[in-house]
This record gives sequence, C-alpha cells and structure tokens, in this order.
Amino acid sequence: MDDSNTVVITAMGATSPYGQGVDALWNGMLSSQNCMHTVPELEALEMVNTKVAATVPDADYSFIPRKYRRSMSRMGLYACCAAQEALKQAGYDVAPNKLGFFMGSTLNSISVWMELTGYSQGAHLELVKTSDFLQIMNHSPLAGVCQALKINGPAMGGSEACATGLMNMGLGFLAIRQGLVEQALCGGTEEYHPMFSACFDIMQATSKNSNDNPSAACRPFDKSRTGLVVAEGCGLVFMESKKSAIKRGAPILAEVLGFYANTETENMAYPSAETLKACMQGALENAHVKAEEVDLLNAHATGTIAGDIAETQAAYDVFGPKLRINSLKGHLGHTMGASGTLESIACIKMLQHNTLLPTKNLKQVDERCAPLQYNAQLQNIPLNIIMKNSFAIGGNNCSLLLRRPL
Amino acid sequence: MITREEIIKRTNDALKKEFEFTDAQLTPTAQLRDDLCLDSLDAVDMVVVLEQQFGVTLRQGYDLRTIVTLNDLYDFIEKLARTHNK
Repeated sequence: MDDSNTVVITAMGATSPYGQGVDALWNGMLSSQNCMHTVPELEALEMVNTKVAATVPDADYSFIPRKYRRSMSRMGLYACCAAQEALKQAGYDVAPNKLGFFMGSTLNSISVWMELTGYSQGAHLELVKTSDFLQIMNHSPLAGVCQALKINGPAMGGSEACATGLMNMGLGFLAIRQGLVEQALCGGTEEYHPMFSACFDIMQATSKNSNDNPSAACRPFDKSRTGLVVAEGCGLVFMESKKSAIKRGAPILAEVLGFYANTETENMAYPSAETLKACMQGALENAHVKAEEVDLLNAHATGTIAGDIAETQAAYDVFGPKLRINSLKGHLGHTMGASGTLESIACIKMLQHNTLLPTKNLKQVDERCAPLQYNAQLQNIPLNIIMKNSFAIGGNNCSLLLRRPL
Repeated sequence: MITREEIIKRTNDALKKEFEFTDAQLTPTAQLRDDLCLDSLDAVDMVVVLEQQFGVTLRQGYDLRTIVTLNDLYDFIEKLARTHNK
C-alpha cells in the first residue's frame, strides 16, 4: 500500500483507574500497580457476589469552565481530560479546523439518570434541569467535549458496549481513509455505576472469588477465573492521514493497518469461536497482513469463563500455537466502552518500548483455553505488529491492527 | 410572611450552589447576563432551582428580559411570594 492511504496515530489521551494521563496508565501497568478496590454499594448488596471495581481516582475538574462542565457527567469529564491530553500531544492548543470526533459509551450516566428518577418518584418531573438532560443524551460526552474544545468537524458516537472504543477507532480509520476527514479523535468513555456490576453478576460473568484481594480479582485465561471486574475511564487517540502527519512534522506513534467488524447472531451474550475467527481473519485481510506477521494478539479476554475460551480457540484457528497472546483486564479491569482504546494505547506503548506487558494474575492456564503463547511476566521482545480485539455483549466484534511506524 | 432578607439569602444560596458563584459576585446590582454570565440554558435551570427553593411557580409569565439584575430577581420572587400567601 502506498502512503497516500495510510492512517497513523500521532497522539493519545487517557483517563483511567490509574489516574489522569497516558503515562499514569502505562506506568501503572508496567509496575503491576493495583487499581481495584471494594465498592461499599456492592458490599451492601447481599445477592450480588462481586464486590470489586476499578474506578478513576477523584480529581478536581473545575479547570473546565462551568459553561461546559454543566453538561458533562463523569464520563464527559473523563473524555474532556483525555481529549485535551491528546490534542496537546498532537501539538494543538485548540482543536484544528474540521477535526472529526468518533466516541461513544455503553450507557449514559446512570448516576444522573438515578437523580432524575428521584425527581419523578416525588412527582416532580417538571423540576428536571436542562443541564441534567444535557448530561444524559446518548451523545452527551461527545457533544460536551466538542463544545469545550471547539471541535467543529463531524462528530459521531458509535455505541457498541464493550467494543465501543475500538469500533470508534475503526470508524475514524475508515473516515480518514475515505477522505471524510483528515484528522480525528477516536475512542470510548465510560463511568462506573454499581448497576453494571449487578447486571454482569446476575449473568454469572463477574469475579467473585477474590473480594478480599481486589488486586487478584480479574484473572484472564487462568484456571481459577470466575469473571470480569467492571471499571471506567476514557481512551482517545488522535488519528490522521500519514500525509497530514508528515506535512505538519508530527511524530508518528503507530500505523493503523486494518480493521474489521462483524456480529454474532446466535446469542447476545455468548460469542462463538467461529464468529470471532471470522472477525480476526477479516482484519488480517483488510490490512493485507499474514497471520504469521502478527507478533501479539492483545485479547479482549475479560476473564469470563466462556469468553476467554472462545477467543483463544478462535485465535488458535487463525494464528496457530505460536501466537503470543496477552490480556490487560487483570491490570485495569474491564473499562467497558473505553477498554478498546485504553488497551490500544497500551499496545502502542508496547510497540514503542518493545515491551510485552504480562497477563496479570495468570498462574495456571485453563486447559479449556487453546494452547497459545501466554505470558505472566514482563518481557522485552521485538514487537512490530499487534492485533487488538474488542467484543461486546450484544454480539458486536471488532479487530484492529497496529504497527510500529516504519 | 417571608422577609426580603430571607429571600435574598435563600436566592443567593441556591445560585451559589447551582452556578458556583462567590458571595462577592452576588451584589444586588449584578446583571444576570452581563455580570454573572448566565445564558439561556442557565436561566432555565435558575427557574427550576428557585421554584424548588421557594415552592412557587416562576416559569409561567416569567420573562428573563424583565429581570436584569439580582435586585429585579429578588423583587420578582418577593411579589410572587406575597401573591402566593394571599
């Protein structure tokens, strides 16, 4: 492929359970720092088995003018911080003209919804404030960040639950390739509410055997895993055409080689290995990359029994037993709509540093997971191409390929 | 009957909480739009929080254009409270 069609990433922004910034995210994972904790609201619920989550540390957001902050729930604030970081790294004080913005979330702010429900219980629905409504639109974080940072290009919010972040990176990639925009911020944002944990818990998909040791609560691929840990945050990447990056002298962090998405039609909650396999194969074809050229699969692997098995079986069918595979959910928990992008950011750091992050809490691989090259230790190895997977409840799957810049 | 002083205190407390004002900003002659920078969306929310605060209906017959300063707002609430208590 000639450079005229190449899409690159030149900046990144992250708000995560490790705190604000890409450095906090990367250093937290590098040092296996614990960001998980018990949640008092969950501890008070007798029938909910999981008690652990990973949330963004409290911060002062008053630096965002009230005029913009009034329409932001927590996920909007997280997104505003991540977007500011990415724009700054991209070399912009204010958003460049016609910047595209592709971002969504699984749900909107449950906390604000709960507040509104409180009003209605008292038959005071007429006392709903405009600012409450502006915080709970499906695209509220997207719209709020556009206002705050003067992003005036096309802003669209793809929303596919746990695949949201990576789907929006795919949308940005396609939009740049097709010439709709030259530059775009892409990713996902999410804010935690105990309702997430309660819902996944009743589906038997949460971690429940490590409430007294939150750091070990999420154990992708491990024999003793019982499920995921819900988390929150926002990840955004600044994508642009390679032509644009070269023209303005922007350092290239990674190339986006290809993207593919498909949908599971048999079951909303249980992915089939066949569909996941087709998704990964589609991404390889879209990127014109051979399976053996991929150095690492950064799996979706949330630590659920069924999901990890299906994904590894699919990966085995596509790549064979030599495939190196890791999951970052043991470090970060499942940041839901933000996970695809926050983990892609970690992938780009892995490419930059030739550093393979371990699958935290992996002690003994479940024999039902396919035989692949799992790693429980930090390793320094050459990494050129990484495939990132994100799969959503609802059956929405996507895979994206990243390469160290040539 | 609610006193003027009480109206001022409760109005200012509600506005400080909703719009993050300081006491120094809330002078009686401060103009809602030009000095306190309240825009049309803020005006709608101001009505809601003041209705909650005083238990009266402000939105019917309410016209921001006739209420320029904080003093105008206190006058308006005082008049409504009197009518409400009749």
